[in-house]
Amino acid sequence: MSGSKRQSATAGRDATWQAAACMAVALLAAIVAVPAVRAADSDPTTYPRREGPEIFGRDTPIGRLEYVPGRGLQVGRTKLTIGGFATIAGERLEGGHGAVTLDNANVFLFFDPVPYVHVFSEIELSRLAEWDTDRPHAHSAPGIDVDRLYVDVGKTDLLNVRFGRFLTPIGRWNQTPADPLLWTTSDPLIIEEVFDEAVRGAMLWGTTFPHGSALSYALYGTFLDAIHHDRDADPAEHSAGARLEWASLAGWTIGASYFTSQHTHERWHHLGGVDALWRPHERVELSMEAVSGEGSQHAGHEWGLYAQGVVEVVRTLYAVGRYERFDPPEADGRTLDLFDIGITWVPRYYLRLKADYRLADHRDELSAPGLRMSFSILF
Amino acid sequence: MARQLLGAVLVLVLLAPTAGAPESPPLAIVVHRARHADLSLSELAQVYFRRKRFWDDGTPIVPLNLPAGTPLRVAFSHAVLRRSEDDLADYWNRQYFYGVLPPATLASTAAVLRYVAADPNAIGYVPLSEVDDSVTVVLHVE
Repeated sequence: MSGSKRQSATAGRDATWQAAACMAVALLAAIVAVPAVRAADSDPTTYPRREGPEIFGRDTPIGRLEYVPGRGLQVGRTKLTIGGFATIAGERLEGGHGAVTLDNANVFLFFDPVPYVHVFSEIELSRLAEWDTDRPHAHSAPGIDVDRLYVDVGKTDLLNVRFGRFLTPIGRWNQTPADPLLWTTSDPLIIEEVFDEAVRGAMLWGTTFPHGSALSYALYGTFLDAIHHDRDADPAEHSAGARLEWASLAGWTIGASYFTSQHTHERWHHLGGVDALWRPHERVELSMEAVSGEGSQHAGHEWGLYAQGVVEVVRTLYAVGRYERFDPPEADGRTLDLFDIGITWVPRYYLRLKADYRLADHRDELSAPGLRMSFSILF
Repeated sequence: MARQLLGAVLVLVLLAPTAGAPESPPLAIVVHRARHADLSLSELAQVYFRRKRFWDDGTPIVPLNLPAGTPLRVAFSHAVLRRSEDDLADYWNRQYFYGVLPPATLASTAAVLRYVAADPNAIGYVPLSEVDDSVTVVLHVE
């Protein structure tokens, strides 16, 4: 993940290490408790294999270890999978600043002990290394953060309960903000600057299938304390929200979101948003999001939108264009118009190489124009 | 000038041939003999997108696929999921971000038939001509 929200500090790091230690213990317990391997597990003609090219597979006392790039390492019969992603990014901004960063490596751990329970966590190793034009030597300030940690419980498609820390379900982008899943190197400002990236609490969610389409809902609220110093600069103490999304098999997805938040002893803020995705053709993807209201990061009315188009020009090579308009709450005439144009090469489904140039109607601390590149891998 | 160039590129891209659905024999969607399921084509798609995860009796659905790139699977993806293999890989990347993996694969249609015959929660697709009485056909896909 990337963006200005991701400013974290050393405060509370001990709690993060404790959370990581708990997960390591759970991992060990899952391995120890695993039943003995069955011979049929390694027979490809009778035992279902995971999707994708297996580049590592070995039978072990705890079952078969299988690694499929972009789909993780399945740890035998433990029901545990380990995966993640990593990104190297570089930029050369207008005005001369340049940098290359090994920004983060995110590890997924997910555990499905029974079909009705899904435990998921994302642990980020951040600020691993950076070289920039302002300092003569490489520097790093490695840290570890628990980006997501939650459990889903549900025995029907219509009603599930999620409990823990999870990404705020507003729009589409914020729900899948990993670099290997995005078409550009940077996030739109309405994703970075308006609402908290994650909430800590519970969510009711589910899907129904009217007329063959999928209608999904989410109702959620924050009531847990942070398990570490939060990545969001000043997360709301209380928040609640709702989302409704309709996805058709014809390639349309339309969503609407509502989010309300409150900092200590302040009044509640209210934010609304809409989003859409359309695939009119196998080679074309069009998407947009818009939000308006008061977000959790600033007081005062703000609004913004982005519209993005992606076209597969030749196989595996995509042309990308995005327009953004963002009107921040400070009424000082700083409304920003941004254009990102670039290319993305996807040589394998788990690799993504991006280069884009940002054009801005004026320079602003929120968004410096310039060239940005990244290479990301889903592992 | 730039707009005209962009428009020309877009038109060329949209007119370029895409990987169309290959010729495929009629498919049968098969489940365990003890399973009584009433599935539409769109519900079947939701099962293979892993949005619909449970049978009506609350037991988990185990969808089975054939290996990527096999002609029968490509035909199934076009006819039922209405997506190309590249689109589906992108879709599953996003699901992986939440710890949801694509349906498991079996090496052959014979293996699919054997597995479905043994697992009451499984569902798979095979050529209609290969169906035997070890499974129940719940849907035909032309």
